[in-house]
Amino acid sequence: MNDEDFRLEVRGWLTSALGSPEFACLAGKGGTGRAHEFVDERMAWERRLGADGWIGLGWPEADGGRGLSWDRQVIFYEEYARANGPGRVGHIGEQLVAPTLLMFGTPEQKARFLPGIAAGTELWCQGYSEPGAGSDLAGLRTRASLRDGEWHIDGQKIWTSLAHVADWCFLLARTEAGSDRHRGLSCLLVPVRQPGIEIRPITQITGTAEFNEVFFDDARTLAENVAGSPGDGWRVALGMLGVERGVSNLGQLIGFQREFESVLTTARGNGSIDDPDIAARIADAWIGLQVLRFTTEDALGGGDAGGGSAGGGLAGGVAANVTKVMWTTWHQRLGELAADVAGPDATLAGPDYGLTDTQRLFLFARAETIFGGSNEIQRNIIAERGLGLPRG
Amino acid sequence: MDTAEQAALREAVRDFCGKHRDAQAWTRLTGELGLTGLAVPECYGGAGAGLAEVAVAVEETGRVLLPAPYLSTALAGAVLSEAGAVPAAEFLPGIASGALRAAFVLGSAVTASGGRLTGVAHHVLDGAEAGLFIVRAGDALFAVRAADAVATPAGTLDQTRSQAAVAFQDAPALAAGDAAERVEDLLRVMLAVESAGAAAHCLDVTVGYLKTRVQFGRPIGAFQALRHRCADLAVEVASARATAYAAVRAAAAPAGTASPAELAVLGPLAKRHCVDVFWHVAAEMIQLHGGIGFTWEHEAHRYLKRAKTTQLLHGTPAELRRLVSQRAGLC
Repeated sequence: MNDEDFRLEVRGWLTSALGSPEFACLAGKGGTGRAHEFVDERMAWERRLGADGWIGLGWPEADGGRGLSWDRQVIFYEEYARANGPGRVGHIGEQLVAPTLLMFGTPEQKARFLPGIAAGTELWCQGYSEPGAGSDLAGLRTRASLRDGEWHIDGQKIWTSLAHVADWCFLLARTEAGSDRHRGLSCLLVPVRQPGIEIRPITQITGTAEFNEVFFDDARTLAENVAGSPGDGWRVALGMLGVERGVSNLGQLIGFQREFESVLTTARGNGSIDDPDIAARIADAWIGLQVLRFTTEDALGGGDAGGGSAGGGLAGGVAANVTKVMWTTWHQRLGELAADVAGPDATLAGPDYGLTDTQRLFLFARAETIFGGSNEIQRNIIAERGLGLPRG
Repeated sequence: MDTAEQAALREAVRDFCGKHRDAQAWTRLTGELGLTGLAVPECYGGAGAGLAEVAVAVEETGRVLLPAPYLSTALAGAVLSEAGAVPAAEFLPGIASGALRAAFVLGSAVTASGGRLTGVAHHVLDGAEAGLFIVRAGDALFAVRAADAVATPAGTLDQTRSQAAVAFQDAPALAAGDAAERVEDLLRVMLAVESAGAAAHCLDVTVGYLKTRVQFGRPIGAFQALRHRCADLAVEVASARATAYAAVRAAAAPAGTASPAELAVLGPLAKRHCVDVFWHVAAEMIQLHGGIGFTWEHEAHRYLKRAKTTQLLHGTPAELRRLVSQRAGLC
């Protein structure tokens, strides 16, 4: 099968699956800023993806994946975005936890956890940030100690996406008493539904809840549920961040194009495009999207070969940091443009603070320059690793 | 990403540019390296490569602001290769050997009548030393020997690239096809590539300076206010190179494989983006160098002047935005 056949296969499956009565309601739902939408249906959708073999495309076949090339994975994400597929509830398991277990996990852990992720039946969340440890992750204080064959966990995590639907949490905790900074940490695999864990949604700028606070009060997990060696959690956690290479970023661009076209349609419809300032900003947004696409393709599209030339004089490994700064900034500007194009209508909210897609884009984009490593942290990484500038 | 051959070419040109920036540079550039003939077919003494290879050399000569009419001459080689047998046979051997230097007279200043050209064009880049002008008149292109025109060199803000006012008075001209719009876009693509290379150089030099300049007892590159500015410049430079080469791919695509519309959009788009980035990086280069960056002795001012010159010719940012907007069907 060549790439084009594979694309047709993906497209055919998506058309049929998203056209079925069960999932027809899901087109375009549950994406960023709309995590509250159709949660049960999206969980069922995840199981359907799993049942038909669309999770773990890039994992080795021996580990239950399909061993597909980078290019094929990109094709899947492109087609998924083109079909306006719903926001995934299983992506933390598939794209972060599974690659980490493939890198650091024991055979038993892989056998225990990968099948549930691949089937879409076990969902994951990621417990890294804490109220006192955001950009300075190594300052985290959630602690765990091993007693009687179990880890006992106490502390608090925050900004935990999907904790309310997750079965498991990939948790970074301090497991050596008196340890400091990045020493003495471990990555624990913790079942979420247990008496020692309380989850509270965080109502955010949109009035809805995308993230949660997670409280650990003598929560438990078995001694063997540690990824990598105890005390080696920092290296494992960084490895996990390292796998965020952004295969889905290429698909994301198709969603951006759709959002841009919606803004353009609105501007034409309400005549705001006749305003020279708006017309100029629309042109700049379109140009910016092309530039973003070229840079993303160049930086990430090297794929299996690893990285293109977009780094210019940059040392390796910062392509994802460069594109993160770019896409979040572009998308935030698009949200501002969308609000300005909508004009006075953008100032009204529906019953129960019901917002339009435009308003959600406008508001939620403020999160994007903060989450996933704030853009200030990205700049630190680009400066240090990419340009070799000294640390402050 | 470069092919293996392009990577070797890049290395050779970069090595050359590191050593030769003097008056003999042109002879060696053409004789030893054969760079002006990169896109000239082998039967005319060229290398038989294409626009993608010209772009690599343009980026590298752009990094050092090589004071020679390389971009115009090499691009003329590519353009005349597409323009039909007569102008090709007439001019390509001279371009390939380096004996003939070319300049482009685009825009709407010149009109054609009965195969002869009339009009006065200003701001002809590389025009002072050109032996051949590629001239736009309406949608048609013509090749005119410098001996049949009057080129008056102008003093320039950017002293690394000449300009001339070129007057044609019923000048005899050789028809060179009707791809005037394409050629205007190709020139924009090459200016974009050159700007991306120059911007990358400005960033390299600035980062190097920030690692060695010590104030308050530490290299100033350790200060976050400056590190973050450099990181933003790095993002911009990465985007400029990616965009420039996307435009090069559209320009170099064999006939029929990419739509002409692609180049028509990406030519102005790439020039606008890459030159804006170049301008920003060059301006930051001076600021981040402090006083030394304001001196005549330091190279920074040459980059700032090249950036502004390139920005103001062959489509200002506002003009190019309008052009992209129209051609992409936005409004």
